[in-house]
Amino acid sequence: MSEVVISVENVVLRFPRRRSLVSLITGMFKKTKRTFTALDGIDISINKGEIIGIIGTNGCGKSTLLRIISGIYPPDEGTCKVKGNISLLAGLGTGFSAHQTGKENAILYGSILGYSEGKIIDKLPEIISFSELGEFINEPIRTYSAGMKARLGLAVASAIQPDILLIDEVLGVGDPTFKKKSTDRIMEMVAEAGTVVIVSHSFGMLSDLCDRIILLEKGNVVSEGDPSEVIAKYHSLAKKRKSGGDE
Amino acid sequence: MVNEWIRIKSSVWFDKLRHKPEYMSESSSGPGLTIVGKKTPALKAPVTNLMTLFANNFLVRNLIRREIRGKYRNTFLGYAWTVIEPTLLSIVYWFLFIMLAGNPDEHYAVWVLIGVIVWSCFGKSLMASVTSLSGNTRMIHLVYFPRIIFPMTAVFTNIVITMMSSLVVIPIILAYGFPFGIHLIMIPISICLAGFLGIGLGLVFAPLNCIQKDVEHLFRFIVRAGFFVSPVMWTYEMALDRGVFGEVVLWNPMVVPITMARHGLMGKWLDMPINSLFYSIGFAVVLWIVGSMVFHKYEREAVKHL
Repeated sequence: MSEVVISVENVVLRFPRRRSLVSLITGMFKKTKRTFTALDGIDISINKGEIIGIIGTNGCGKSTLLRIISGIYPPDEGTCKVKGNISLLAGLGTGFSAHQTGKENAILYGSILGYSEGKIIDKLPEIISFSELGEFINEPIRTYSAGMKARLGLAVASAIQPDILLIDEVLGVGDPTFKKKSTDRIMEMVAEAGTVVIVSHSFGMLSDLCDRIILLEKGNVVSEGDPSEVIAKYHSLAKKRKSGGDE
Repeated sequence: MVNEWIRIKSSVWFDKLRHKPEYMSESSSGPGLTIVGKKTPALKAPVTNLMTLFANNFLVRNLIRREIRGKYRNTFLGYAWTVIEPTLLSIVYWFLFIMLAGNPDEHYAVWVLIGVIVWSCFGKSLMASVTSLSGNTRMIHLVYFPRIIFPMTAVFTNIVITMMSSLVVIPIILAYGFPFGIHLIMIPISICLAGFLGIGLGLVFAPLNCIQKDVEHLFRFIVRAGFFVSPVMWTYEMALDRGVFGEVVLWNPMVVPITMARHGLMGKWLDMPINSLFYSIGFAVVLWIVGSMVFHKYEREAVKHL
């Protein structure tokens, strides 16, 4: 169980600020930083079979960290190593084409997520039945409601069984009955996947689910460990920030 | 036996280029910790880019289908627009030219139409590949797959659409009585060459366009200006009569594809010095090599600017 599958070593990520001729001229008179440090030397190591939660205020680098792990951004310093197949669940239904049918979009989205052709054809009946779209599966997606799109997206995304599952705030889509079903499905995926990293604001769920929680603050790991302790730390930090703001 | 070994070897190697290699999930005892996004050497990029494309052909096909379906959505005429658009444009240029210079050639309108089709394939491929990263911000932020797929699908989509427009030659052949034969194959070849020239140049500047959108505006201008220095409203034969001007203009690599399509329609093989054909193809290959290397090297830094 102690085999490391995700190893983030001293990762620094700086986002450049966009410049224009006007800002360049005005910038000569006042000092502005050219970059924004989103991650400032993060060290995390995650073992096989662990379920990790990541919490923190908006803009603290949670999603950026997941993007580093899934290879979307290259780190400026440090390295990120993984073992196994990674799947990032974020923005369900990215790349849907409004003018194609539900079935065609399921295939399209599946291929975007990295299925091979044979696999998606195999999984298609399962996806269609899970999405509960019935007749609508052969209608163009533009006729779908937001909830229906989300259902189809989740149905496709959850048909994968990755070694490492990264979840970025995609829990709880659709109407209450489907919400229950989708949460159950993600729990099922969590149980099946070897290792899971969840970014979320629903602390109740995180403390039930996670073995360990990591608290990020301004691109740094502030605290790491037992869920209830870290959540308590988050609240105390939030309180401190609030009182600091009042002064 | 040997064949089998080669097949297995090559499929594993091929599979590595897929963005979710299957060999990884099948054996949990596979390779150990691997660095995320470790890059292959930039020198190999011209080849690995093509291989990546083949390895991910299922994804590429789906993305192309999406683009083409989306292009003429909610239209009554649908795909007929692929033909109507260049036809209308040529009518305008035809009038313009007759007003300026009188009628030079009984088939002049046809040559303009062919010119417009091939040139717009180049122009649109160029613009599509330059904007391929900056136009897919949402997708780039949420899923990872090899980024070379974005410009490549954009250009393939254009090539497919241009092929559809080029079906307009069928009524032209019937109306004007051009010979119908093997020479017509030069039309799709010229379209592919034009698209290939477009993507090579586009790949060089696609990462830069993420950093500063000025590139996009500059290229929009280049495509407009290039229209006049390419044989769209004039032909290769006209340029030959102009002495020095004609010679200078032949340095433009787009002369070959456009002339090739016209000669194909006339029913003859490319009637130009063979050197110019090699020049144009060589130009495209060099652009592809430089473009893939630049794209490969800077694409990952560039998406941080999005």
